[in-house]
Amino acid sequence: MVRVPINILVVDDEEDFVEMFSMRLEEMGEIVKGVHSGQECLDILAQADVDVVILDIKMPGMDGIETLREIKRRNPIVEVILLTGHGTTDTAVEGMKLGAFDYLNKPADFRELMEKLEGARKRKAEQEERIRKAESRTLMRKTGNLF
Amino acid sequence: MNNEKAIKLLLVDDEDAFRQALAKRLGRREMDVFQASTGEEALEVLKATPANVVVMDVKMPGMGGLDALSRIRHEHPGTEVILLTGQAAVEDGITGIRSGAFDYLQKPVETENLVNKIRQAFDKGKHRTDLAKEAEMRESLERQMATAERLASLGTLAAGVAHEINNPLAIIAEAAGYMRLLLKKEECATIPFHDQLEKALGKIEKSVGRAKRTTMQLLGFAGQPDAVYREIELDDLVEEVILLVSGQASGMGVTVIKEQNPCPIILWTDPHRLRQVLINLVSNGIAACDRGGRVFIGSAFSEGMAVIHVRDTGHGIPKENMDRIFEPFFTTKPPGQGTGLGLFVSLDIIKRLGGAIQVESKVGQGACFRVSVPRRGKACPEVSNDIDWRDKARELERRDNHGAGAH
Repeated sequence: MVRVPINILVVDDEEDFVEMFSMRLEEMGEIVKGVHSGQECLDILAQADVDVVILDIKMPGMDGIETLREIKRRNPIVEVILLTGHGTTDTAVEGMKLGAFDYLNKPADFRELMEKLEGARKRKAEQEERIRKAESRTLMRKTGNLF
Repeated sequence: MNNEKAIKLLLVDDEDAFRQALAKRLGRREMDVFQASTGEEALEVLKATPANVVVMDVKMPGMGGLDALSRIRHEHPGTEVILLTGQAAVEDGITGIRSGAFDYLQKPVETENLVNKIRQAFDKGKHRTDLAKEAEMRESLERQMATAERLASLGTLAAGVAHEINNPLAIIAEAAGYMRLLLKKEECATIPFHDQLEKALGKIEKSVGRAKRTTMQLLGFAGQPDAVYREIELDDLVEEVILLVSGQASGMGVTVIKEQNPCPIILWTDPHRLRQVLINLVSNGIAACDRGGRVFIGSAFSEGMAVIHVRDTGHGIPKENMDRIFEPFFTTKPPGQGTGLGLFVSLDIIKRLGGAIQVESKVGQGACFRVSVPRRGKACPEVSNDIDWRDKARELERRDNHGAGAH
């Protein structure tokens, strides 16, 4: 069975990290884009199809939490996994309250990351499924009204 | 009366009859009198039994009173000396005072006079010792504060460094992981040095793991999440600790022994943190022992605090290391085996719990760590028979552990 690749957007101001991390994820079969700021992240989301954003909390300018808030406002169905420095668990909790799927301490364990990615993708798929069903229900109701 | 009894007096004179008669008279004034017949003997006696006051004849065969005086002032600065001089030898007395005698009396001495002088000398000596003790205490307090400040700034620095190191560490980890993926590809199965490359990657990954453990520990110190307080029975905690270190102990051929405490101690504290500290201390104790060594862990009550002691029969801590053992990165273990953060983090945890850690150690005689934490518990009898409560606590802990494992 062919595994459907996950569309991932990696956001971190650390360019080398984004590069290596993306190459590794691509090698695992995912489709990956990398950017280095919150604003670039939002720009990409406006035009490309993304399932999961992997978002560093600590960035200059628009930080991870701000970016997350904006992502969830514009496109709540996109899942976000936060990358945190250890000891910023409080921020991570805040992030999850704002709708992040989960968080990982940097440097992250790759296996753990892959599990969380899979979980995020699944949650997004389920959410989309629910939306589809709801839409078709509305549609049926509407058509029912017609006839 | 009591005051007099407390005076330890050394009487030094070569004339046996005179000395013994005087000793008898002074002894009746409830002083603790011991005697010597020469200057040399006086120094020997003082070495074994320190005296508050020495009453000493100036003219003696061998080492004279004045020579003995300067030796006593030098070797026993806390001891006051009263000289007895011949009738025509006032100069000896004055020389004596110049070299540090409390005063001199001319022979023949009047007992009442002598007793008064002895008391004055005793009071002066006592005052001086009190001053010295006070100065010592103040110095020790200042040293403690300086250490605390140094630790605090080191902690801030260490946390900053750890954060900075985590980023490049993450890059190294991703790069190594990526290379590993490439090496697993079919096209790469037959490239030259394939196995060596894989082995080298393994070393990189292992070292990243090691560095990560260090930075995590450091940051664990800097940004601990809030403590979860709960009521616990200290005995249970001690038993858990012993269970958790039993593997390490038997591997090292060291026995960990729980010292029984008849009264159960109930504590209101953060059991996870406290356990982490105790495991650290016991594990250090085990590491300090040779095969056949023992580590004792026990608890007691003292002034509203629960005091847990961890004592080992190991090598002990050299004096020069004593001040440094709580510093971050200070370790006597070989590279790669100790992060040098165990005690540093332990002290931080205990301070957060409102307690303190004290250490006593002598080289070759092991070390004893005393952790005191505030009790803040319910009264003993209320809970000691309450089985429901104990079950509830265990249930809570299970849930806690489960929660912690899910992150």
